[in-house]
Amino acid sequence: MKKEKIKECNVIIAGVGGQGVILMSELLGNVAMRDGLNVRGSEVLGMAVRGGSVSSTIRIGDHISAPLVATGTCDILVGLEPSEALRHISFLAPSGVVILNTETVIPFMVTIGMSGYPGLKEITEKLAAASGRLITLDAVELAREAGSHLAANIVMLGALLGTGLLPVQVESVKKEIEVHFSPKLIPVNFRALDFGYRAVNN
Amino acid sequence: METNRLKELARLTVTSDAPGERMFMLGNEAIARGAIEAGVQVAAAYPGTPSSEIMETLAEVAAKSGMYAEWSVNEKVAFEVALAASLCGVRAMTSMKHVGLNVAHDSVMTANYIGVKGGLLLVVADDPWMWSSQNEQDSRYVAEQAYMPVLEPSSIQEAKDMVVSAFELSEQFKHPFMLRSVTRIGHGRSDVRLGEIRRERVPGVFEKDPMRLVVVPAVARRNRVLMLERFERIKQAVSNLPYNELKLGKTARLGIIACGLSYSYALEAIDYLELGGKVSVLKIGTPHPLPEELIKKLLESVDEALVVEELEPFVETHVKAIAQEADIRVKIHGKNLIPKVGELSTRQVAEALAKLTNHESIAGFSRADEVARDVASLLPLRPPALCPGCPHRASNYLIGVVSRKVARQYGEGIQPIYPGDIGCYTLAVNPPLNAVDSCICMGGGFGVASGLAHVIKAPIVAHLGDSTFFHSGIPPLINAVYNKANITMVVLDNSATAMTGFQPHPGTGRTATGEEAPLLKIEDIAKACGVEFVEVIDPLDLKKAADTLERAIRFEGPAVVVSRSICAILGQREKRRKGEEIVPYRVLKEKCSDRCDACISLLGCPAIMREDSKAMIDSATCPGCGLCAQICPYKAIVQE
Repeated sequence: MKKEKIKECNVIIAGVGGQGVILMSELLGNVAMRDGLNVRGSEVLGMAVRGGSVSSTIRIGDHISAPLVATGTCDILVGLEPSEALRHISFLAPSGVVILNTETVIPFMVTIGMSGYPGLKEITEKLAAASGRLITLDAVELAREAGSHLAANIVMLGALLGTGLLPVQVESVKKEIEVHFSPKLIPVNFRALDFGYRAVNN
Repeated sequence: METNRLKELARLTVTSDAPGERMFMLGNEAIARGAIEAGVQVAAAYPGTPSSEIMETLAEVAAKSGMYAEWSVNEKVAFEVALAASLCGVRAMTSMKHVGLNVAHDSVMTANYIGVKGGLLLVVADDPWMWSSQNEQDSRYVAEQAYMPVLEPSSIQEAKDMVVSAFELSEQFKHPFMLRSVTRIGHGRSDVRLGEIRRERVPGVFEKDPMRLVVVPAVARRNRVLMLERFERIKQAVSNLPYNELKLGKTARLGIIACGLSYSYALEAIDYLELGGKVSVLKIGTPHPLPEELIKKLLESVDEALVVEELEPFVETHVKAIAQEADIRVKIHGKNLIPKVGELSTRQVAEALAKLTNHESIAGFSRADEVARDVASLLPLRPPALCPGCPHRASNYLIGVVSRKVARQYGEGIQPIYPGDIGCYTLAVNPPLNAVDSCICMGGGFGVASGLAHVIKAPIVAHLGDSTFFHSGIPPLINAVYNKANITMVVLDNSATAMTGFQPHPGTGRTATGEEAPLLKIEDIAKACGVEFVEVIDPLDLKKAADTLERAIRFEGPAVVVSRSICAILGQREKRRKGEEIVPYRVLKEKCSDRCDACISLLGCPAIMREDSKAMIDSATCPGCGLCAQICPYKAIVQE
């Protein structure tokens, strides 16, 4: 079934260096472009490898021009790490959807006692109150079930598609995975995509 | 899309001869693609965020693109390499970050006097909000001072297209051009439509022309007059470039003048406030020199104008001057409504427009601010950290321990001072290492130490990285020798320009394009510069390294210690490539004391965590450097 195209779709992917934020946005951007859409995005790369916060913006639509999402206009916030999703809460539109991986990554500043880390319940309550819908899933566990914990970002990509809010076809994403990954990694990533999709779409 | 067609598209690369096809590109890749389309024959750069990927992309494809590409030792040399090629009739490009332009400034100022032959483009990446920089300087001022015309893209597509145009213009006017990028261009992503690739290659020919190229006063005086004439002709031409575009609203009383990427935010802010057709918009793609006629046309048609640009009021100041000169009495707004600090987004422009159009304050923004305030205290600090296994952690830990020990003998309460520099090791400023007391600019660590030595009685232990040493660490080292500064200079040699993506440098024995090169040893250079105490340590051999470092700090006069250990990330890559096993360390719970905490509280390694009041090492991220095992007083950390 062909989904109705929307004028503008703003996605923010928030996580920690090493979680695959950038790969996710590359896949998504390529898929949207090949589905004939305009894509704009941006990320802060410099510190990514060193365990700092990493976030990436992907905007899809006919009339978009800016690389950044305006405050209060993010349609989908994908949180690969709970506190990093919380860090981007002010970008959410009141009707926005949050997709949250519940596995936390505790920064070393918390380990050495220089900073606190909120409870997961507190994070989800805040995100739920600021958005139209909050979806939580244990993407790392689902990725393990799919065959590799490294595919958690693909689980989250599946979940993102499962919302039905993106103006891209699931088949296009599968094809993109086929051309992007080496043949032996394709089945794991297909399963991961499917697990994420079904975690939301059920 | 058909699978075969998709596979064909997925195979597109930055060098593909596929005009009209679209690629999803990083802005810096698009700029590199522009250079390939323009038929650039020489590219030289020094890495710096957010510009590094331009040269990385070019270096990778240089051989098959008929291009010579190099990582130069610093931006000044990079510019000179490109300038030389251009003087020989060859198209040449150099790229750098904004503070790199300061290093190149000397050559840039005179290159414009002599002009060029083959097209010469200087790509400068400004960094609004200082995502990875020490200041927020606006390169357009340097360009103005140097009479260097600037193209400033409003999108990634335009960034690529402007590179191609810049080479045509540079050759047409025999004058160097600048492309001003910003973080959200270079590190933005967008679909980009590819253009034709220019295949023409010209042999370099150096024509002796001392009356132009040797800038003794008589020549310089003549050159200056010729340069001003050239610039006047360029000024006439820019108004007609498609990158400047005026759209007058039929009934508009408000005009927006938006420069570069700010144009995209202005367009979206107009949409956000539903002001389409009610305002006039002038898009500026050439902030220097400005399209004066278009500016006058806009100002004459409105009652009020708003200039939208990132960082300084560069365009704004000039627009005000143009209005004054033409006697156009219009209120011109700019930095009174648009923030000077940080990067712009649709929000800041919408807020400024709302004020000028008597919109109420924007409810969506205030609601979002309330939400942000509500969670602010919950957010954990997550600064970037030295990686698990990073040798800089060991070096900075050692410098702290040893220099504090020596400082005690200087007297009660005397603290050692640690002048630092630009690179991964700046992250050692964070607790628990607290090992950086100043960080100003590339090479500044040794320079500041040289000065401190003449006013402070305490151990002064400066550090900078291997790439930084070659970039600008050698002159201050020589200065310390010449002026007898009693300091210790530690070069943290991890065999890479790690912070910007592991680019090679003269100490690595290979070039940008992967060829073997003479390997310059830092210790040899230090000895040749007249340093009497020069030693090499392995920072991960703590005891031995501490002993050497202590002798260096106690040495009367300048001492150099090269702390050599490969970057942890590169080291792991190398091991994987060779099929060697990476063996992490682990904590023996029965030996670990719950009253100790030394490994956690002294090292701040992200791989060490707390579990039931004891230490625990994450085997997935520990690369097995063994630093923690060496400082554990209970011998509770062992390699598996």
